[in-house]
Amino acid sequence: MLSEKTAVTQSENYWRKHLMLDPRPVREMNQMILTAMTTVNKRYWITVTTLTLFVTIGLIGAWGYQIFNGMGVAGIRRPVYWGVYITNFVFWIGISHSGTFVSAILRVFKAEFRRPITRASELMTTFALTVAGLYPLIHLGRTWRFYWMIPYPNQRQLWPNFHSPLMWDMLAIFTYLIGSTLYLYLPLIPDFAMARDRTTGWRHRIYRILALGWRGSESEWHHLKQAITIFAFAIIPVMFSVHTIVAWDFGMTMVPGWHSSIFGPYFVVGAIFSGVSAVATVLIILRKTMQLDYFLREEHFDAIGKLVLVFSFAWTYFFFADYLTEWYGGEAVGKELLTLQARGPIAPLWYIMLITNILVPWLTLWNRKIRTSPKALLVITLGVNIGMYIERYIIVAGFLTRNRLPFDWGAYTPSIVEILISIGSLSTFLLLYVLASRLIPLIPVWEVHEGQISHTLRRVGQALLPSVSELE
Amino acid sequence: MNTLSVKENFVVRMALFDNVDSAAESIAKLKEAGIDDHDMTVLSGVPYPEHVLGRPMTWERLPLIAMSGAGVGFLIGLFLNVVTPLLYPIRVGGQPFVAIPPTIVLTYELTMMGLIVSTFLGVLWESTFPSFGPKYYDIHISEGEIGVLFQVTPSKLKHLTDLLQVYGAKSIIEPEEWRL
Amino acid sequence: MSKYEHHWTMIVDLDKCTGCQACVIACQAENNIPVVGEDEIRKGRGMQWLRIERYWEGEYPNIRARFIPLMCQQCENAPCEPVCPVFATYHSEVDGINVQVYNRCIGTRYCANNCPYIARMFNWFDPQFPEPLNEQLNPDVTVRQRGIMEKCTFCIQRIRRARETAEAEGRSIRDGEVQPACGQACPTNAIIFGDLNDPNSQVSRLAANRRGFRLLEELGTEPAVIYLKGGESNVI
Repeated sequence: MLSEKTAVTQSENYWRKHLMLDPRPVREMNQMILTAMTTVNKRYWITVTTLTLFVTIGLIGAWGYQIFNGMGVAGIRRPVYWGVYITNFVFWIGISHSGTFVSAILRVFKAEFRRPITRASELMTTFALTVAGLYPLIHLGRTWRFYWMIPYPNQRQLWPNFHSPLMWDMLAIFTYLIGSTLYLYLPLIPDFAMARDRTTGWRHRIYRILALGWRGSESEWHHLKQAITIFAFAIIPVMFSVHTIVAWDFGMTMVPGWHSSIFGPYFVVGAIFSGVSAVATVLIILRKTMQLDYFLREEHFDAIGKLVLVFSFAWTYFFFADYLTEWYGGEAVGKELLTLQARGPIAPLWYIMLITNILVPWLTLWNRKIRTSPKALLVITLGVNIGMYIERYIIVAGFLTRNRLPFDWGAYTPSIVEILISIGSLSTFLLLYVLASRLIPLIPVWEVHEGQISHTLRRVGQALLPSVSELE
Repeated sequence: MNTLSVKENFVVRMALFDNVDSAAESIAKLKEAGIDDHDMTVLSGVPYPEHVLGRPMTWERLPLIAMSGAGVGFLIGLFLNVVTPLLYPIRVGGQPFVAIPPTIVLTYELTMMGLIVSTFLGVLWESTFPSFGPKYYDIHISEGEIGVLFQVTPSKLKHLTDLLQVYGAKSIIEPEEWRL
Repeated sequence: MSKYEHHWTMIVDLDKCTGCQACVIACQAENNIPVVGEDEIRKGRGMQWLRIERYWEGEYPNIRARFIPLMCQQCENAPCEPVCPVFATYHSEVDGINVQVYNRCIGTRYCANNCPYIARMFNWFDPQFPEPLNEQLNPDVTVRQRGIMEKCTFCIQRIRRARETAEAEGRSIRDGEVQPACGQACPTNAIIFGDLNDPNSQVSRLAANRRGFRLLEELGTEPAVIYLKGGESNVI
């Protein structure tokens, strides 16, 4: 009798490791979130100040300097007409795939570990897209004429050219930005209402407006749930299309190394690879700095670690397919591109990419201990994003140095202006995130609570096993 | 049932429950005692589907709104791709003025934009957002409790209060109208 | 006959080209192309619409240099055109050439990337014409602002002038009446310009030459520039 009881208690303790099986009163969870949101220390303000400084130098100083003097202050030159700016653009669009993947796809497939991490990754999507959206503007020769790309009846009677992949790109990114922002906002409404009920002063005024008068009545919930479902299904194809179209900016051209039909899926997989890695990076930092240990647990890092490994496999597959086709094709300029990577000036970067994107994840992430160690995972996922940045840099700035006329080959090194603007944009992303972390409930309490209600431990024979009832 | 329109000579009460089972049972009992579905509203901190609480299904217009939005987006996409190139024809790269492949890409994108935007506007419309009250509400709702809001004639009140307490209501309060 | 009113075509006889660069200078002067200075040239930011590409053949001491003057090829299926989001570059239905509209350009540089001939130049800075260069600016040609693309136009200002003269005199443009600056300056007459629609023009006769080829023909861009293969004489 006694031993049986102990076995049950032991298995119960075992299951307590999982957030869904370790429920706490909503009151307590609310409090944890509010405390995390309202606690700011000196380090926080130092971070905010430093980031603001970088944003000012990069986006106002360096970009302003570039606008007033001309694109020549950047390092780009014939034939490398696109450089770090477009690399950054593709990189940030890639990061923006985090939220949609983690949130929408995992929601559609009802992966329960998603519940506490959806908000943090959706925020990344919106902010990464905001930063990515800056780059087409930064990169324009005449930034002050950017609105000529917007389709509206104008006095020139000229509409934009919808044959241009850049037009597809602009509309796709616009759709994705609207979609992901609304998709971030909808599940936030109940959490804003929660915060509204428990704050005073300026916070209360903001949350009150953002909560739109939410009470949690049946029809409110019904419409919200339905809208979230529609959004989840609608935003997945939009996500695929966005990075596919970014890839088509390259794939539609005649540039050697770019003109490839595999670029669409190759870029999508790369984007999810870097996006999911970035989610891990951010969650580790959030947990450490905002005391979210109750919500963000080993199981979450474990699951994300597995995703990173799977996408490392998928990325390698596409990378190799692209490489092999070029290798076998035998076109002179294609061969030259491979030489450029293996032995040319960008070879060191290329090898770093192979190490961080393939070797390291493959050697480490199969191990549960490494996956669940925040420090190890932080290093690995940061490495993946460095590798993915290099991948885009090689494709954009590397491949453009070679072309079919050897007389016109060139070289490219980023200028100080380009570097400052890049740092400025990274700081913009971080600053937006750091500010939002104290303004927006970073964990969707109601979703966690909903999950905890639907999970119970059921006794099967000698063991307690988790069972999930679907509240839908 | 988003709002409870209070009838003349009726009093409004809110029964708060800790768990969904007693809330569902109490709702059944209230119905048995002759309270109409329209005289009840459930407020909760997490979404419970209607059938869990034994409530009537909400009539659904959101998918319709979403689909109409998608249709509008599709038409805008067609306009941009099929009509605007003919308003000011410019030949590029030996391609026809109106070409089907780029049209597919852009009408797809604009259809999705129409779908997404209209779904969002649909939620606001269907839930009559934003509306800041005053409405019956209680702060315990966002602490995970389930509030059953009902109206009844004063004569029946005593009987119902006792009934609800038997079926596990944590408290039965006279709800305040909040400016949300 | 092509579908265009004129089909302006350039023949470059590589057998006659000595690589003297007179065409490059003539082009620069005619089209108000800014002089960017040594540093920028070294960075690869020279703006020549026409350049002489030089390739070495063999190993020292049996080494030979080959020259090929390269300018915008005015492709029939120009890859630069469809990628521009604002129609800043398009195909002229009158002249059959590729046109760049400076005032529409917003500077995405997408066209420049997609040009397999690397023929497009970008205004990295506002153009400078230090004294006395400003005295020789061509009034028929716009000076371009920073941030926009430009490229060889087949001296469209000369084509326009010839058409206006011909129209005023009530005749069609005569063969040889339009000559771009490069062709005019070439001491060996290596660059011949004319209308391919006129079967009796010099370019029509030369285009049939069996030495004729088009650059990177396999890409299917159908350039309007026809090169005549060079033999031993195109060698130093």
